[in-house]
Formats: sequence, C-alpha cells, structure tokens
Amino acid sequence: MSRGAVALAAAAVAVGLSGCIASNVVATQDRMVTAAVAELAFAPAPGLRPEGLYESVEITGDAAVSLRKVYYLFLGDGTYTAAALVDDAHGGAFQILTGTWASGPEGLVLDGAEAVPLEQAPRHLRLSAPNGTVVLRQGELR
Amino acid sequence: MTRTLLQWLGAAFVLGLLGAAGFALAVVKDRVRIVVQADAAPAGPEPLALLRDDVATLGQDLAQLRREQGANLQQLGEALEQRAAARHADVDALRREVAGLRQQLAVQAEGLQQVDRQLAGLAAMPVPAAAPAAGGHPPVTAPEPPAPPPVEPPVEPPVEPVVATAPAGEVAAAAKPKGFLSFTLPPSTFAFDREQRYVLVPDLCRVGFDAKSTLHDFSGVTSQVSGQFTADFDDPAGAWRGEVACAAATLVTGVDGRDTNLREHLDTTNHPQIRFVIEGFAPAAGGIDVARQTAKGEVSGKMTIRGVTRDLRLPIAIEVDASRRVVVNGQVPLKLSDYGVPVPSQLGLISMQDEVVVWLTLRARVQAGEAK
Repeated sequence: MSRGAVALAAAAVAVGLSGCIASNVVATQDRMVTAAVAELAFAPAPGLRPEGLYESVEITGDAAVSLRKVYYLFLGDGTYTAAALVDDAHGGAFQILTGTWASGPEGLVLDGAEAVPLEQAPRHLRLSAPNGTVVLRQGELR
Repeated sequence: MTRTLLQWLGAAFVLGLLGAAGFALAVVKDRVRIVVQADAAPAGPEPLALLRDDVATLGQDLAQLRREQGANLQQLGEALEQRAAARHADVDALRREVAGLRQQLAVQAEGLQQVDRQLAGLAAMPVPAAAPAAGGHPPVTAPEPPAPPPVEPPVEPPVEPVVATAPAGEVAAAAKPKGFLSFTLPPSTFAFDREQRYVLVPDLCRVGFDAKSTLHDFSGVTSQVSGQFTADFDDPAGAWRGEVACAAATLVTGVDGRDTNLREHLDTTNHPQIRFVIEGFAPAAGGIDVARQTAKGEVSGKMTIRGVTRDLRLPIAIEVDASRRVVVNGQVPLKLSDYGVPVPSQLGLISMQDEVVVWLTLRARVQAGEAK
C-alpha cells in the first residue's frame, strides 16, 4: 500500500469522524457567566414571616454602587439585627442595625417605616426599595 | 546557899545568851537583806489566751461583715444590671426612633425631589401670551401658568434618578443620602463619564477561545480571571490603563487529553499567565452613549501568550448592568504562530487551524472608595 493511499484513507476516516463528533464551541450568547439568582422565580409573599438568617446574593439599583453585602437576622419576637458592608473612603465598613420588623399585606415593614415589597422564592427573599433591590438567601445558624 | 548558887547560875546563863546573841548579830548583819514585797497579784487568765479569744472574735466579726457585704454587693450588682437593662431598652427605643426619623427624612427628601421635578416641569412649560378670557381669573403678572395642568397620578422616578439632562439642582437632590432597608448609604450613583478604577469580579468573568480543527470546532474556557483597569468611558483620550490576566493552565476544552496537549503547547509551567495590558481606547464612530451608559470601540494594548508579547487591538462593547457593574464583551482573531504556540496536529492530518478567536466577557465594579 502506497504512502498516498494511507494518507487518503486517513483523510477519509477523519472526514467520516468529523460527522460523528459534535462541535464543542461555546455559543456567543452563552459566554457570559449567569448568576443562579437569575433563574429564581419570585412571587409576592404578603404576610410572610421571614424568620431566620439571610445573606445577600444580589444587589441591584443605585444602592449597589456602595452596598457590597447585607446580612439580616429576623427573630420571632419581631426584632431584627442586620449588618451591611458599605464602601467608604477606606475601602469599606460594616454598618450594624437593630430594630423591629413586621410583615403585612404591603410587604415587609422595617422599624415602622413604609413597607417594602417582599417576594419569595425557594430559600430566597427579594426586597425592593426605591433605590435598589436586594436578593437574600437563607442561611443557617450552626 | 543552893539558892544563891542557882541565882548566880541563872544570871550567868542570861548573860551567856545575851553574849551569844550579840555575837550572832555581829556575824550575820552584813549577809542578810530584808526585802519588802507587796502581796502577789491574784491569779487570772493567760494573756495569750486572751489574745486568742480576741482574734477569734475578730474573725467572727469579719465573717459576718463578709456575709453582709456579699449580700450588699449582690444587691448592688442586681441594681446595676437592672439599670443597664433599662438603659439598653432606652437606647434600643432611641435607635428605633432615629431609624424611623431617618426613614421619614428619606421619604420627605423623596417628596421634595418630586416637588422639584414638578416645579421644573412647570417652569419648562411655555407661558401663554395672555390669560385666558374664560375662567374668571384676573390677569397676573407673575409667570404663573393660567391654570394648573391636570393633576397627573404621581409618576415614580426612574430607577436611575440622575438623568444626564436633569437640572443641576435635581442632581444635587438625588445625591442626598437615602435610607436603604434602614441602612444609611453614602450618596453615590454610577458615574459613566468619570475616570474611575474598576476591579474585575472573578466569579463573573470568563475568558476563552474558539478554535477550528479537522474533526470539529471547540472552545477553551477559564473563569480564573483577574485584573483591574482605570477608565473614563466618555473620554477616550483619558487614562485607559490596566490589565486582564487568566491562568493558562485552567483553560479547559471538555476533553482531558486535549487539555493536556493545550497546557503543553502553551507551556503553562513556564508561562502560567496569559495577560493583556490595556494602553488605550479608540471609540467607534458614535460609539459612546453616556445617557444609556454604553460604549463601543477598540481597546489597544499588549497581549502576552507563552511569553511572547504582541500589540493587539481588541474590539469591545461596554455596558452597565443592574448591579452597577461594568460589563465588557470583546473578541479578536489571532494566530497562535504569532505567539510561538505550536499548532497541534496529529499525523499531519488531524490538525487545528492556526487562527483562533480569543474572547472575553468581564464584569467589573468600581473599586471601593472611588464611588461618589
């Protein structure tokens, strides 16, 4: 068998295999990393009692410019404590709050202020304030 | 006669006694000392015993004092704890009150902004040449509209309150601090048209390449991306500098053997990073839209692969996402041979093309402390 015939056979095999092996190219629209939060289906949750520990997994709106992370601990007695990592001239500092919460048909009321819409997805909450929205994921106290 | 003899004998005996007494006195007069001593004190308890009793009594007193002091200290501690708890309750109440006031201030600030907007809208309305004849209102000299416009339902301000065309006063009002879920945030809005330093968010960045081979096409991808850059998206002539790098050994194509070959061809042991140094930006014609916060153009810089550095112009598109992060998408074709990367080939028949498309999708946020 001549050398040319071997090459021809190999080329034929390659062409044949190319039809069997699927392309493995990342589509242009799939190049971007998508956050898991985008796939959550939130529904309004009036009256929900969000007792437990939560940490932010997404912050949007103008609040996101300076707000890096938020933690809330809602207690069953209607009080809460919270911490937020906020940018400052030194790179960031935690603000710590304690206050009261209540849940009504309009949403979540913090410290007697105007209610903010409260939505729920599995193990997640979404709070929408005028200058931003925060998605909270339920955490565990160990 | 006998009687006389006896008298003489008696007298001689008396004289003898006196003489013996005088002699004895003479002998002992210098050896006898007469001491006059008072009567001995009546017998009583020993001083040591008395001292011991005193010590015991003192100990009992101290123990009693300690008991009493302990009770007093306990009462004092309880009283202090009660007072501290009361103070804590007062402070908590005060804090809640302050939070409520802060929220009220935010609401009032929002109301003031709305009033400002309405006033700005009224001021922008054209003033009619004359007051309407009907209506019964006397003509007024002030530039007040003859009749207020119909009251529209309050329109919620857009999520981004700072609009490029907004009056300066409105921008200043929007920049006031607002409460966000009871937190006090510094006044900050995303500034597209100001030089700022951005830091890549590693979890949200991805760099890769698309390659063609004899058998099929494939991509190599990594999320091990890091870097930072400084840019003013509205000022191409301004300072555009920075760097984006990825770990070459973390590029994966989905086939283990091919990944091994890829690492060998990129010589990741000696050249662990693929790096692009940003040196400038040339916008496309009409490619910058400050209002929509988008930009298109070419980033120029130096790409280093396998230790070989070449000038590169990378077309990119820039936008800002809902979390106020800059999103950069770009891709550019380049030849592996330009960077000294051997083009993989099997038996000279199954080979990869020299040209690949390098692409990146990055998300970066303003570095802490730079947002105003």
